Amino acid sequence: MFNIPKGKEVPLGCVTPAPVTEQPMMMTGNWREYRPVLEPEKCDLCMNCVVFCPDACFQLDEAEEKVVLNEKYCKGCNICINECATDALTAAYELDFEDGVVRLEKPF
Amino acid sequence: MASKVHQITVWARGVVQDKEGRDIANGLANAAEKDGKFTQAFDNYVDLPDRVNVPLRKYARISDEEIEERYEYENEKPEIVIVADATIVKGINILRGMEKGGTLVVATDRKPEDILKFIPNRDLLNTIVCVDAKAICGEQTVDFSGSEGGVDSLGIGQGISAPILGALARGTNLVKLDNLAAVVKNQEALRKGHEQAVVKTLN
Repeated sequence: MFNIPKGKEVPLGCVTPAPVTEQPMMMTGNWREYRPVLEPEKCDLCMNCVVFCPDACFQLDEAEEKVVLNEKYCKGCNICINECATDALTAAYELDFEDGVVRLEKPF
Repeated sequence: MASKVHQITVWARGVVQDKEGRDIANGLANAAEKDGKFTQAFDNYVDLPDRVNVPLRKYARISDEEIEERYEYENEKPEIVIVADATIVKGINILRGMEKGGTLVVATDRKPEDILKFIPNRDLLNTIVCVDAKAICGEQTVDFSGSEGGVDSLGIGQGISAPILGALARGTNLVKLDNLAAVVKNQEALRKGHEQAVVKTLN
């Protein structure tokens, strides 16, 4: 009926492959001045950081039983630090770390 | 053949450093104008509307003759790059388009070597200047009176832009410190930035 080129075909019901957890078109990691650093001993997995993060950067790693920060999208708003129930998160200056580099060609 | 247009790009954080970044571009252009040069200074239209902490660009151009490229809104080949917040070096390829032998001015409390290790294309640089602008003059002015053609009611160079401009006069000979002093409001911070700047020549 329609002549759709291969590679542009959409699955039935226009469903895109899931789960998609990242949107590389809107990387906000280069906004960050201070990053949250987790002390795993203090963390009791209350999930406050997962819920309150505006960019859903904190994800629960179920196998390891810990929360993991996705530094590509963390924009350093530090809401997680305010919301952390056990003070397990602290702000650290970005230049103290060698990792977490999100080097884009243009700002956004 | 028109003479060379010196392009200067300023990187700053959105909203919180909007005024400071604008002051660096405007102050530099105004000071060079007092030396009889032809100048332009403007915001990057593509970056607007800015949001808090977004890296954004401000541009200045200095030339001995009248600048003909009036309708080009981006500096494609910056000769001098000024970074008002040091963490931007991790987030952006700040030296994009630069030709070999450029200058980088960073406002940071770190040493030039610590900044250079975050810049993969550091071979392009000839000089790097580091100045601890926040220690010299802790305040950042948040004000939008001068943006988009408005009149700047607070004056140029009240906050951290003054020491950065002082450091720039140390690292390059594009502008003279006396001309900057005639433009910038915070004279003490300008002189301190000029004295305390750490200049490192590479290659």
